[in-house]
Amino acid sequence: MTESHIPHFRSKRDFEEYRKAAEEKWHELWNGSRTVVSVGVGSSSLAKGAAKVLREFEKHAGSDLVARKTGVDGADWSEVQVRVKRPNAPAVVYHHVTTDDVPTILAGKADDLILGVEGDAAYDGIQPISGLPFYKYQQRIVLANVGVIDPDSFEESVAVGAYSALYKALFEMSDEEVIAEMTAANLRGRGGAGFPAGIKWESGRKARVTPKFVVCNSHEGEPNVYKDRRIHEGDPHRILEGILVACVACGAERGYNYVGGEYPLAIKRFRRAVEDAERAGLIGKDIMGSGRDVAFRMRTGGGAYVCGEGSAMMYSIMGVRGQPRTKPPRSVEEGLWKRPTVANNTETLSNVRDIILKGGEWYSQFGTEKSKGTKLMTVQGPMNTMGLVEVPMGITLGTLVNEVWGGTRDGYTFKGIQTGGVSAGPLTPEYFDRPVDFDSLTDAGGMLGSGGFVVFDESVCAVDFARYLTAFNRVESCSKCVPCSLGNPALVEILDRIRLGRGSASDLPLIERTSKHIIELSLCGLGQVAPEPLLGMLQKFPEEFRRHAVDHVCDAGVCPMASDSVTVSLAAD
Amino acid sequence: MDLAVVKELIADLNPQDWQEAQELILAALQRVNERFGYVSVEAAQVVADHLGTTVPRVYGLLTFYADFRTEPRGKKFMLLCHGMSCYVMGSQKLVQTLQDNYGIGDGGTTAGGELTVQVVNGCLGVCDRAPIVEMDHEYYGKLTPETFNDLVQRVIAQVNAGAAS
Repeated sequence: MTESHIPHFRSKRDFEEYRKAAEEKWHELWNGSRTVVSVGVGSSSLAKGAAKVLREFEKHAGSDLVARKTGVDGADWSEVQVRVKRPNAPAVVYHHVTTDDVPTILAGKADDLILGVEGDAAYDGIQPISGLPFYKYQQRIVLANVGVIDPDSFEESVAVGAYSALYKALFEMSDEEVIAEMTAANLRGRGGAGFPAGIKWESGRKARVTPKFVVCNSHEGEPNVYKDRRIHEGDPHRILEGILVACVACGAERGYNYVGGEYPLAIKRFRRAVEDAERAGLIGKDIMGSGRDVAFRMRTGGGAYVCGEGSAMMYSIMGVRGQPRTKPPRSVEEGLWKRPTVANNTETLSNVRDIILKGGEWYSQFGTEKSKGTKLMTVQGPMNTMGLVEVPMGITLGTLVNEVWGGTRDGYTFKGIQTGGVSAGPLTPEYFDRPVDFDSLTDAGGMLGSGGFVVFDESVCAVDFARYLTAFNRVESCSKCVPCSLGNPALVEILDRIRLGRGSASDLPLIERTSKHIIELSLCGLGQVAPEPLLGMLQKFPEEFRRHAVDHVCDAGVCPMASDSVTVSLAAD
Repeated sequence: MDLAVVKELIADLNPQDWQEAQELILAALQRVNERFGYVSVEAAQVVADHLGTTVPRVYGLLTFYADFRTEPRGKKFMLLCHGMSCYVMGSQKLVQTLQDNYGIGDGGTTAGGELTVQVVNGCLGVCDRAPIVEMDHEYYGKLTPETFNDLVQRVIAQVNAGAAS
């Protein structure tokens, strides 16, 4: 919808009136006489020509057709996705659309490209997409508007609820009540550690040193997670609102968002959201005439994985090398500029809006006993329907792999699923009945972490994969503490020896011993978990390691065994 | 590197206080790096002067963060995704192809200065097309060592054809 001028909200009335008008306009868009074509445009679909498809539809725009962009809804396997909403009918979802398909789709043909209709009921013989396994298990809270609204439109965002939670926190609730709702929701930090957000906010609020800060950690440097990027690309105002509510509740003077520099589109769309919010007076002095001030700054990272660690991230914001420090003091006591700092993950803060609007009790109905709510999960590897999903905590691993993500593609045989990014080990099919939440995978050697899974097939050698994961941690080690900065290269050396067919049986206990030193002696979380993927691989595929080390055979045919003129490719070194 | 352009790039970074100046060093360097593909010593000096810090301090950042380069890059710049999805789908073989056929590793430039390839240790986010490379905002996915080699050859030929005409 065409963006109207963004007014500066000087009172709560101003906001109420704007919201009402925006809601009406939104309603009119979907219930008017025009056909609405929505093209999912995000970093993943741009690679498949989404921008061109959108431009093609725009050529046909006019009095009877609106062409608009939205974020991508997570179904990477079906991109480019186009939703066509004709008057008096539910939206029809088309997948794998190219520019050539545009006239056919507009003519109402292109039946082979139809994925389904939106909503719960079939329409005109077309099945609803909510019946597809990829969508069936989803419970979309954070992603509710991703793929629905135009992320660059302030007006559409407000129409679907943006800043209503901020409004409520400012005018209808005390700061204590806001924190009480967060505590009641029992929302645990989505960055991997799982620390309850409500308790963190409470400590932040109680800290007596001023000024205080709130930092949103959107660094997401793991090589297999792309959830936070998609929220930035699809619904940036949701994140910003979460940060602002946290600032208000904790009495923080300034909020930050630290975004990884690798995400140009996420940065662009979030920056736009910040500008619009500033124009509307939602950032700055006297927000909506409430008398409360919150400043905001956005900072971008420079491609160092370790900056996802809380203290390293703060050093990076402070303009120095992102090297973690020893704790305590925790950052909520002494963080950014040595002031109390509440640091939350993007996904955590993205849940804030619904918790404030619908209540902590509502939120805690989802999920399991100890892990409440929903979780964004991403998968990589040879899967049929791969992409980003939001499912309730406690869904079983097998359901995720075989149904939500559609199982492995033809020609690939499932071997294992790497969990917890580069911080934990893989799991095999015997663990498929495990519920996925913060605690249930740990004793099996896996981890939920930030929700990134990688499925690998028989063509991947466990030793080579372990080397890849260990080499990643070696490169990303910040070199501050010796166990991590020297231990990880030592592990890679051992693995290379084995891969080259020059290993021996004694290398396997050596791996375990070296790993133990790194785990026990490293300073920060990176080093303390760096050998875990290797240990996990060793535990799950012991025979494969033995074959490499003792028999000098790589059954997958990946490792450069026993050739004399080997140049060891030090990938990503 | 045109230092006047560098000055212009960072002219609107006007910190209110010392703390904000510190916070803006990375942002300033990112702008320079994005515009020129690298940050020269002279540019580092300009940034340091503008934000009241020193070149060694600036270099501390340039050498820590993977996105920065301190040497000019080739005429074309390619990102080779080496995230886990790409690894599982065979990006290691692409890295090996670069090593075998062109003798370059991460951040290396082909002999004629045509192409610089940076191996991304993170993820480009187009995982269902893995393994994938990005160049000039275009993505080339589902690569095999052969198609990847063809692509590199094509880029080199294009650059040389452009230089000759």
